Amino acid sequence: MELSEGVQRGFQLLGDPGAFGPGAFALVLRAAFRSLLGAQADEAVLDHPDLKHIDPVVLKHCHAAAATCILEAGKQRADKSTLSSYLEDCKFDRERIELFCTEYQNNKNSLETLLGSIGRSLPHITDVSWRLAYQIKTNQLHKMHRPAYLVTLNTESTDSGSQPEISFSCTMEQLQDMVGKLKDASKSLERATQL
Amino acid sequence: MLLDLSEEHKEHLAFLPRVESAVVAEFGRIAVEFLRRGSNPKVYEGAARKLSVSSDTVQHGVEGLTYLLTESSKLMISELDFQDSVFVLGFSEELNKLLLQLYLDNRKEIRTILSELAPDLPSYHNLEWRLDVQLASRCLRQQIKPAVTIKLHLNQNGDHSSKVLQTDPATLLHLVQQLEQALEEMKTNHCRRVVRNIK
Repeated sequence: MELSEGVQRGFQLLGDPGAFGPGAFALVLRAAFRSLLGAQADEAVLDHPDLKHIDPVVLKHCHAAAATCILEAGKQRADKSTLSSYLEDCKFDRERIELFCTEYQNNKNSLETLLGSIGRSLPHITDVSWRLAYQIKTNQLHKMHRPAYLVTLNTESTDSGSQPEISFSCTMEQLQDMVGKLKDASKSLERATQL
Repeated sequence: MLLDLSEEHKEHLAFLPRVESAVVAEFGRIAVEFLRRGSNPKVYEGAARKLSVSSDTVQHGVEGLTYLLTESSKLMISELDFQDSVFVLGFSEELNKLLLQLYLDNRKEIRTILSELAPDLPSYHNLEWRLDVQLASRCLRQQIKPAVTIKLHLNQNGDHSSKVLQTDPATLLHLVQQLEQALEEMKTNHCRRVVRNIK
């Protein structure tokens, strides 16, 4: 794991028993995880009586360094041994290493889900709705008598602002064609998962 | 159901008995071609010179014939009704037969052209798909994230457009299931009854 100098300094300071007692260390560590994974940004995450004695600038620096380190570990999918050796290099004592690894393990899934959801991707289809109508006439053409489908695909996009819905009409034959092709895709998917 | 022909329309069509059947057949061909491709005034001038009449007369004749054909096709009137509608024009039997044949021969194609005039939503043209697996991104390494990339081709008013979309395996199965249900709907008793009773 490679982190910038500033981050490393902050992180090492966090591990220093002189700067942060065991209680303070645990609080800052948990605050870092909460800041990253909490549903809402919590401005008071570092507002705790046991942290009042620490210089706020130092507190912020170490909290940010811890968060950066957690993110980097999550990004690289660091396993326990990689984490431990990095923490040892930062001169963390045994107890703090254990605490960090336990907290990391508990939050690993949420962290990876969060990181996996960041990034650009194509508009993602989330649902489909359909409407079946029987066409009788238009002002240009009477006695039509044929079924017509209206299909709407709901999509989600990373840059919200682009079209969330794609609607199109199709005849029965066209819908059969479309369903046939989608079934081919899902069969291929099934076969690929069995390899 | 009989066609209701206006006086002006009957006047325009009055030109037809004054020329030979072959010319009327040719006018019929021109009328359908204009429906397919749009009108071309130069054709009127050529024909007008050959027939020694004004190009306006030729134009009215062709347009009258076009309107007769499109109205009949739009309403999908029966042979008998067509014959009765044309009868009021007082044409010869030969001309009436020619007009009827023109109607029956071109009805299907004219209806197809007319159907393109309806208010239009983009309509389905084709679908291409591709299986992808995302292995890593800037924010997260060592992933295995399967996805299906779909290119949906749509047509609207002759314009071709395509949209590239993505979905995950679970949603793909959901899409297939929902759309198969949509197809099944046409086979239900309710829909069959409606189709049977609307004529």
